[in-house]
Amino acid sequence: MATDAVRAQVAAKWQDSFNRLNRGQPGITGLMALSEAWNIASEFLHPRDLTTTPTQKEPNMSAIKIAFDVLSKSRMLPMILESFLEDMRKQQHLITAEVNTYMSEFENSSDPRVIGRLVHRLVEWYKAWHPAPELGHTILSAYTLSFQTHVFSVLPPSFPRAFKALVTSTLPKLASDEDQEDEEPPDMSVWGSFETLGLVERYESLIASVCYEHIEAYVLEECRGKWSESMLTGLREWMATKVVPWMVYSYARGAKTPDEAKHMLQGVGSRFDFHICKTLCDLRTSEIFDIIIDYPDSLNALNDLRECLQRVDQRAELVSTLRYANKKRLLHPGADTKDILTQYVSIIRCLRIIDPPGVLLFKVADPIRRYLRERSDTIRCIVASLVGDGESGDSLVDENEPIQPLQTAEVEDYADPHWEPEPIDAGPDFRTNKPSDVISTLVSIYDSRDLFVKELQVLLAQRLLATKDGNFEKERRNIEILKVRFGEAALQVCEVMLKDMTDSRRIDQHVQSQKASVIHPTIISRHFWPPLQATNIVMPGQLQEMQESYAKEFTTFKPDKKLSWLPHLGTVHIDVELTDRTVSTQVPPLEAAFIELFLEKDLWTIEDLVAKLGGVDKASALKSLGTWVDLGVLKEEEDFKYRLLETAEAETSGGRAHAPRPAIAEEPLAVVTVQQQQAEQMRVFWKFIEGMLTNLGSLSLDRIQTMLKFAPTYDRNIDQLGAFMEAARREGLVTVQDGMWKLNKK
Amino acid sequence: MSLAPPRSSTKTSVTGSTTEGAGSVTRRLSSELMQLMMSSSPGISAFPKSDANLFEWVGTIEGAPGTIYAGLTYKIFITFPPNYPYVAPNIKFESPCYHPNVDLTSGAICLDILQDKWSAVYSVQTILLSLQSLLGEPNNASPLNTEAAGLWDSPSEYKVQLMRAYRPISDGPSA
Repeated sequence: MATDAVRAQVAAKWQDSFNRLNRGQPGITGLMALSEAWNIASEFLHPRDLTTTPTQKEPNMSAIKIAFDVLSKSRMLPMILESFLEDMRKQQHLITAEVNTYMSEFENSSDPRVIGRLVHRLVEWYKAWHPAPELGHTILSAYTLSFQTHVFSVLPPSFPRAFKALVTSTLPKLASDEDQEDEEPPDMSVWGSFETLGLVERYESLIASVCYEHIEAYVLEECRGKWSESMLTGLREWMATKVVPWMVYSYARGAKTPDEAKHMLQGVGSRFDFHICKTLCDLRTSEIFDIIIDYPDSLNALNDLRECLQRVDQRAELVSTLRYANKKRLLHPGADTKDILTQYVSIIRCLRIIDPPGVLLFKVADPIRRYLRERSDTIRCIVASLVGDGESGDSLVDENEPIQPLQTAEVEDYADPHWEPEPIDAGPDFRTNKPSDVISTLVSIYDSRDLFVKELQVLLAQRLLATKDGNFEKERRNIEILKVRFGEAALQVCEVMLKDMTDSRRIDQHVQSQKASVIHPTIISRHFWPPLQATNIVMPGQLQEMQESYAKEFTTFKPDKKLSWLPHLGTVHIDVELTDRTVSTQVPPLEAAFIELFLEKDLWTIEDLVAKLGGVDKASALKSLGTWVDLGVLKEEEDFKYRLLETAEAETSGGRAHAPRPAIAEEPLAVVTVQQQQAEQMRVFWKFIEGMLTNLGSLSLDRIQTMLKFAPTYDRNIDQLGAFMEAARREGLVTVQDGMWKLNKK
Repeated sequence: MSLAPPRSSTKTSVTGSTTEGAGSVTRRLSSELMQLMMSSSPGISAFPKSDANLFEWVGTIEGAPGTIYAGLTYKIFITFPPNYPYVAPNIKFESPCYHPNVDLTSGAICLDILQDKWSAVYSVQTILLSLQSLLGEPNNASPLNTEAAGLWDSPSEYKVQLMRAYRPISDGPSA
């Protein structure tokens, strides 16, 4: 049904195509030449099988060139390219087979070198099939794309892992890998092959992760537990000498000049440097508690950490790690208060190195301070270290730290030209804490300094009373130092106490000059001393006489003053003269009082002895008598009877062999501790509570709290009151119903 | 009707201002309270009614053992004048007390040291002790309750009347 027009059109097209292929040559010679050129070209391009066919003879490049020219003129190049790619597709099974062979070999040996060979082999294939570069850019890129697409499609899923192993093998060895000494230097030529095959581009993130892992492994290996030297510089040096050359292969292959390479490495280099900092920072963060324990030996580790933290924002992690470690390792009942304080002081010093503005410290210290506030002996520990109670040798206070007055939180001085805003992660209740000395920080755990001064007095009283040689220089020095810290006024009482001690000696000298006496009392001003343990012991016999005659002499010397004895404190040097021997010893007064009673008669029951002295509990009486039994002066008989041994008994007849105790057993605590004072206060408050509940019926806790303002010196908060009332309820003193407390009627 | 909360704070400050200029009185009352709390006199006690006002106290008196009032507890109100202790405090029984020298309905007390014999050396504690002993030893010469004075010499009848008038103290908040 073709019309003439259509036919004419077809004829014209045919003629046109023929002319193009024949290139206007006579007859069909053009066509023949084309056909030959096609054959030559496709023969040249044909992807050969490397495994079987030996490499062909050198192709005749000029003939090929002509053939391609012919094809190009006939605009047949796209056709030949297509046919070439089609041939390639047909031959691809060869590559697939080889890839599979190598991969299964790798599966068996896990040797990255196998993969290295695979890569090289693939490059061989690539080169063998590579069309001549003269054919122009289009063919080349089409070929490369097609080849790579195919290779990637046949690589099995296990290839990335294998590839990673290969990349890793090209890195400089870590110390821990050194057992495999046989290794030849890593085959860096594979990088060229990677580039050719496009593997670098395809597995870029994988290569980076290899490097990250390498850095991590190295940092962990080199730096773990080594806090005494600075690591960061060493790490960066290692990076420059070992990793950067490797990076040149992977990231700067195309570089022609060192400058160009440097430029290409800049971005990736800073990423890796960041990674070093981050790894080191993570490591040090996880070790921070022990680093602090090691301070000041770990100073360099802390400096590293500070530098890392400036690059890496890991401050929050550091805070939470340290808080967790503190909670787990420090703030539990098993830890000694002194240790907690020591560690707290170290934390203060360490975190000040890491973060001078103190935000980290503020965040970390808060739980420690709260915990310490709950410990009953915190103040005592702090005070003990204040006065250099050198029991353990090391004091919390740095000897070199200048003594300065306690600092109080001050209002910020905005006129200060060096003023800096609060750090960005400071919490709302953060107080700029100017680098203050450690003692100020410790004292500020508590809201009031009075507690410290009170505890200080108790401690001072104990130490003064325990001093026997009359040398108070150390205490005087301590007080002078403390005056600087706490201020003159707070320590006035301590001054009086010290003066009492020196005055006592002067008075004693005077009294002795008037009338010699064997007793040398310490005369203290009651109002200025913490309450001393009271007693109503009456000293018997000659002890009593000595006291009285001394008191008489004292009254003539100081007519307006009266001595009130605390006979149970002090020591007595006593010679007990018996028929056959003299026992000479130094004992507490109670012991002396007991042996004095044996002057009256030889056999006493313990009840009679206690009744005679008055105000002695049986436990301390037993202890005192035990001293004499141990010394072989008394003998314990049945029913707590004691007999004086005028003549020494043979050791065996006693039945028990005592290891003689030290003559002075531990000194009874002369001074009422702060806790005891508080208990006394609580007794007063209880009277008030009793009074209000008697008269006002039942009251809520709030009412009790407000009513207690009538009690002088009431300073408890409602929680403390609640706990106190609860304790009273357990004792059956009060009952509570619907939050209303009332007295338990008996 | 107002739904506004009671303006207790205003009230507090007003009562506070009346005590102003009476700092020494307040001090005296505080020390008397302390003294009373720390002394352990059995059967007598007193405490300020509220924390805002130190001039009004509530007291409790138990009848002394061995007297007809033994085992009975009475509540009293003590109001201190601003010029205390130069003027005696005003004291009356809150719980009805059947007693020759106590008015049963008003609770007024006839006790010489609370009237003409008052002296500034007396204290809350001495007043309470006097009242406690007054219970057991009434002054029948100047009775407020003549019926009670008349019955005093016949203890069994007296006891019946006494117990009829007696109201045990409840535990509810009295203030």
